[in-house]
Amino acid sequence: MGSDIVEISINAAKALAIFLMMVQIVPMLVWVERRGSAFIQNRFGPNRIGPLGLMQLIADAVKFLFKEEFLPDKKRRLLFLAAPIIALIPGAVAFGAIPLSVPIHVEIFEFLGQSWGPYRFAFQSVELGIGIVFVLGISSLAAYSILLAGWSSSNKYSLFGALRASAQMISYELALGLSLVGILLIYNSFDFAEIIAQQQGSLAFQFLGKDIVWSFLPNWGIFYQPLGFVLFFVAVFAEANRLPFDLPEAESELVAGYHTEYGGFKMNMFYIGEYGHMLVSSALLVTFYFGGYNIPFVTPDQVLAGVESFLGLSSTGSSVATAFLLHGVFLVKVLIFLWVFIWVRWTLPRFRYDQLMDLGWKTMLPWALANTILTAIIVFIFRTQWV
Amino acid sequence: MEAAIVFYGLSFFMTVLSLGVLFNPNPIMSALYLVLTMIGVSLVFFMLDAGFLAGVQLIVYAGAVLVLFVMVIMLFDLKREVYTFSRGFFTRLLKVFTGVVFLIILVKSFFLVPETKELLNSSTQMTTKNLAGLLFTEYIFVFELLGLLLLAVAIGAVALSRIKGGTHAE
Repeated sequence: MGSDIVEISINAAKALAIFLMMVQIVPMLVWVERRGSAFIQNRFGPNRIGPLGLMQLIADAVKFLFKEEFLPDKKRRLLFLAAPIIALIPGAVAFGAIPLSVPIHVEIFEFLGQSWGPYRFAFQSVELGIGIVFVLGISSLAAYSILLAGWSSSNKYSLFGALRASAQMISYELALGLSLVGILLIYNSFDFAEIIAQQQGSLAFQFLGKDIVWSFLPNWGIFYQPLGFVLFFVAVFAEANRLPFDLPEAESELVAGYHTEYGGFKMNMFYIGEYGHMLVSSALLVTFYFGGYNIPFVTPDQVLAGVESFLGLSSTGSSVATAFLLHGVFLVKVLIFLWVFIWVRWTLPRFRYDQLMDLGWKTMLPWALANTILTAIIVFIFRTQWV
Repeated sequence: MEAAIVFYGLSFFMTVLSLGVLFNPNPIMSALYLVLTMIGVSLVFFMLDAGFLAGVQLIVYAGAVLVLFVMVIMLFDLKREVYTFSRGFFTRLLKVFTGVVFLIILVKSFFLVPETKELLNSSTQMTTKNLAGLLFTEYIFVFELLGLLLLAVAIGAVALSRIKGGTHAE
């Protein structure tokens, strides 16, 4: 946590702020989703309350809070109430392990007659050397909230939704994990910060012991792993249970799937969980394939030097300014992917169940395996010194 | 000191949870207790600075295998299987055999404690690289044997599903 009171309190505030960030992005995404779907389908969407219908968010929140609470008969009360809370956990915990910007370095300073520092604050809740394994592990627990919700509702539609969801999540988790192996082989690390650090500047790689630089492309993972990107992109849609993979809540067949029996704030928590999953997925896509918080063609050190000379701040001040600037870049990239999530949802129709399973097991899994083997061979050829 | 408190607290909860697995009459609740036990095991790995093992424990056991367990228990009416697997001479023999094997493993693990302490005190870092090195050199035979076992199980599952009526076939 930290060595003295300043470090501990700042780290605690940081963890809280990152959690609130994840929760607060949900109402905005709901607004974007409703207005965006209306835009795509040539409708108006909610536009009556406030400018651009923005106050609709508050109206929705009030409605969620004051709705009548109802519990179905014959349910397992504890599990029924626990399921929405469990839905929140994977997104919130996983998001905390993703670096959102460069670490902030604080120089020694005087405060209340004492000298403090120097400090180094990472722009994430917790720094883990095995960040990728941790995020995948935590995300894989998301299936339980859906299973518990479906089973404890004692409703056939809910149970079918839950069973579909768990089968789907397990099927696509394989392709998800395997599509990442290519990235792990290339960057040779489980650490997010290290993977992002290797994506600075313009495209540069080693070919048969020679350094090759292509200055017209940024040094992003997608140029090394195009197939891995496509597979990962499809798999996160399936993991988030979004269209075209939203069979767990297929309205035409299952009413609302696993959350049929939930209302008011409890249903809202499932929504927060789903949008949290989208947020984590977008952040992972950006981190692995689009350079994370790096500005294309520019390294963070160059940004720091530029900020220092342009704003003329102290070294602590320019470190803070650089961190927030790069965080803004990261957020822009993540928001683009969140919009893609919404865009796809309102564009593509839903798969049939057998098509879903065929895609997962017979298409994506073999391609992910092929990608892994191919990447391993290419990495071996490129990195070996052939005299 | 803090590590000891956390460890004993975790161990206590894991013991309680595993007793829950054994004594809960409802198979789904039993499986859910097992999920919590697995998460506890992962936390213990994490405390021992074996982050990779902790993550893999979460992904493989808590995240995949037990989701399948819970799903299958929810999906099927298992009364008949429960009946089949709780009677008969062969089943009883199997139970006694498994019990004896687990007892041997438990007793043996007590004698392994000094060795484990030595490993903990030695300076070798348990990185992913070291782990992979050990798996593919020293323990390659056991590792491949386990792979073979999994293959046999997979083929068995396919064969079972090909029989008309599955396990309910007369």
